Amino acid sequence: MGREQILKSIKQNKPELVAVPEIDLNVFTEDLDVLETFKSNVPLVGGQFVEVDQIENLESEIKRLYPNASKIVSALDDSIVKGTVAITKGTDPHSLETIDLAIVKGEFGVAENGSVWISEEAFPIRVLPFITNDLVLVVSKNDVCDTMHSAYKKIAARNRTFGLFISGPSKTADIEQCLVIGAQGAMSLTVVLV
Amino acid sequence: MSHSEKAAIFNKDEAKVNWHDKALWFVREKRDTSAQKVQGWEELRNIASGIKANVLSNLDNYLIEFEANAQKNGIKVHWASNAEDHNKIVHEIVAKNKAKKVVKSKSMLTEECHLNPYLEAKGIEVIDTDLGERIVQLAKEPPSHIVLPAIHKTKEEVDELFQEHLGTKPSNGNPEYLTNEARKHLRDKFLKADVAITGVNFAVAETGGFVVCTNEGNADMGAHLAKVHIACMGIEKIIPKEEHLGVFLRLLARSATGQPITTYSSHFNKPAEGNELHIVIVDNGRTEQLSREEFRSSLSCIRCGACMNTCPIYRRSGGHSYDATIPGPIGAILSPGKDLTKHSSLPFASTLCGSCSNVCPVKINIHEQLYAWRQIIVKDVKQPLIKKTILKIAGVVLSNRILYNIGGKSARFMLKYAPRFMVYSKLNAWGKARELPEIKNQSFDDWYKVKRKNNG
Repeated sequence: MGREQILKSIKQNKPELVAVPEIDLNVFTEDLDVLETFKSNVPLVGGQFVEVDQIENLESEIKRLYPNASKIVSALDDSIVKGTVAITKGTDPHSLETIDLAIVKGEFGVAENGSVWISEEAFPIRVLPFITNDLVLVVSKNDVCDTMHSAYKKIAARNRTFGLFISGPSKTADIEQCLVIGAQGAMSLTVVLV
Repeated sequence: MSHSEKAAIFNKDEAKVNWHDKALWFVREKRDTSAQKVQGWEELRNIASGIKANVLSNLDNYLIEFEANAQKNGIKVHWASNAEDHNKIVHEIVAKNKAKKVVKSKSMLTEECHLNPYLEAKGIEVIDTDLGERIVQLAKEPPSHIVLPAIHKTKEEVDELFQEHLGTKPSNGNPEYLTNEARKHLRDKFLKADVAITGVNFAVAETGGFVVCTNEGNADMGAHLAKVHIACMGIEKIIPKEEHLGVFLRLLARSATGQPITTYSSHFNKPAEGNELHIVIVDNGRTEQLSREEFRSSLSCIRCGACMNTCPIYRRSGGHSYDATIPGPIGAILSPGKDLTKHSSLPFASTLCGSCSNVCPVKINIHEQLYAWRQIIVKDVKQPLIKKTILKIAGVVLSNRILYNIGGKSARFMLKYAPRFMVYSKLNAWGKARELPEIKNQSFDDWYKVKRKNNG
C-alpha cells in the first residue's frame, strides 16, 4: 500500500538530479596535537580523564577511582581487569540493573569532541554501557583520531551490528537549562588512556 | 487563534518571557562559540546543504537502497503514507507482541502523528522517556521546543508536577533532586517495557542502518531492554553514505546546544539476537512539500532547533504560540504546507531578519521561504479587514510623493504634540510597552537636502 504510493509520489515531485558534493577534507585539517586535544575535550563533555603508563596498572587505577564499586562487569580480558559479575550473550539485560561499574574497551577516541567509539563486539550485552551506574572506557593512546571524518574511515570496514560514540556521562538540562550529570544512562564516565 | 493572539497570552508573564528570551539566546551564543572552534565550519554547512539537496533529488532510489540493505540485516521495514497508517502499523507490531507497556524516546514524527493518544485509546501505556518530554507529558502539554521540550516551564512548576505525579518531596525546584527522581521513575518504566519506540536522526542508504542521538541515554535504555524496537522516520531522514554522518554529526549538536557531539550517537544496523527491530518510513505530507519548488528545501531540516534559539519572535512568544508540532521559523515554513488556513499566521511571525537562515546547519533559506509563504497566504487566505485596509492605504500613500510627504509631516506633528493617551493608544502597536524615540522636525529627505547644501 504505502510503499508504491510514496515512491511514485517522490518520483513525480522530486527535482532534477543534483550531484553529491565532493568532500575535500583538507579544508578541515588543523595543525593540532591530537592527543592533547582529546585529553582536554573529555572533561569538557563531563567525563573524567585518566592516564596510566602501562596496562598492568589499569586494575589498581580503577580500584582507586571506584573504591566502593562491588558489582563490576569487566568486558576486558580477565588477565587485565577482573570483574565481580560475569556476563555472556545469554545474560538477561534486565539483570544488569544493579551493576555499579562496567569497564569496556574503547576502539578509539575522537579528539574534536572527546568521544569514544565502542562497538558491540567489545561488550556482550548492548545495554551494559547505559545501564551501569559508572562506566570506564579504556583507550590506547595510539588510537585517537582528529575528527569525525577520520572516525568514519576507521569504522568503515567494521562488522555492522551496533556501535556508538560516547561523549561523557549521561546528562540533561531539561529543567530550566540547569546542567545535571546523570540522566537515564551512566552517572559518570572515565576515559582511561593506556 | 492566531500566533499573535497566543503570543499575547505568553507575554502576560513578563518575567518568564524575559527568562525564556535570555535562556534561548544563551544557547544561541553557545552554538556560536562551538561553531567558531571548528576549522572550515562554513564549508561543513555547504557540504551538508549539498548532500541534502542530492538526497531530495534522488530520494526514491535512496529509500529503495536503504530498505534492501536494512532487510538484509534483519530489520523489518514498513511504509506509511500518512499519520493514520503510521499509527496503525505501530499498533499492529505492539499488538502482535501482546505488549501493554511502551517507552518512547524523542521523536517529533510520532508527535506529528499523535501516536500517544492513538495507542493510549487502545489501552497501551506510552511513557515519554526524555526528561523534558516526560515533564510536558505529565503536564498534558505538547513540547514547546524540539530540542528543549519543557523550556517554557519553570523549575517550580516541574517541582509541583513531580509532587503530584511522582510523589516527590517539595524541593523549591532543585534540578538535581528532580532529575534524580525522574531517573528512578524512568528506570522502573524501562525495566518493565515490552516495546521501545525511538525516532531516527539519520538513516544511511548505503548500509541500511540508522543513528539515534540523545544526551540522556533514554533511547538506548529503551531499545536495548525491550524485546522489540520500533524506529519511526520521515522519508527525508535518509543520507546517501555512512561517511556523510561525519559531516552531520559535527553539525547537529553544535548547532543545537553548543556541545561538540551528543553524549550518545548510537548506530543501529542489526537487531540484537532474539529481538525484533522495525523501521516505519513515513510520508505524511512530505512528498507534497517536495513538489513545491520554493519550499522543498525545508525538508533538509535536521531538527537542531538553532533557528528557534536565535529567532527574536520565537524567544519572546514561546513555542506554544505556533500551535504546530514544529514551532519556530522552520515550523512556520513546514506547517503552512500541511494546513494553509490553520497555520496562515505563522509566516507573519517573523521580522524577516534572516538570523534563522544564518545559523541553519544545512543552510535552508528560511526567511526567504517565510516571505514566499506570505505571498501565497494573502492571495489564498482571507486576511483581517484592518490589515487589508491599512496595507491598501499604505500602498496608495507610498506610491504618491505628495501624499507621502503630507503623511510624514502630519505623523511627526501628531507624535510630537498629540496628548500621550492618543499616541500610546491601541491604534499604535509601536507604542505598546515601549517609549517611542524623540521625534525630529525634519524628514530624512529634508535633512539630506540641507546637509548637501551646507556641504556645498
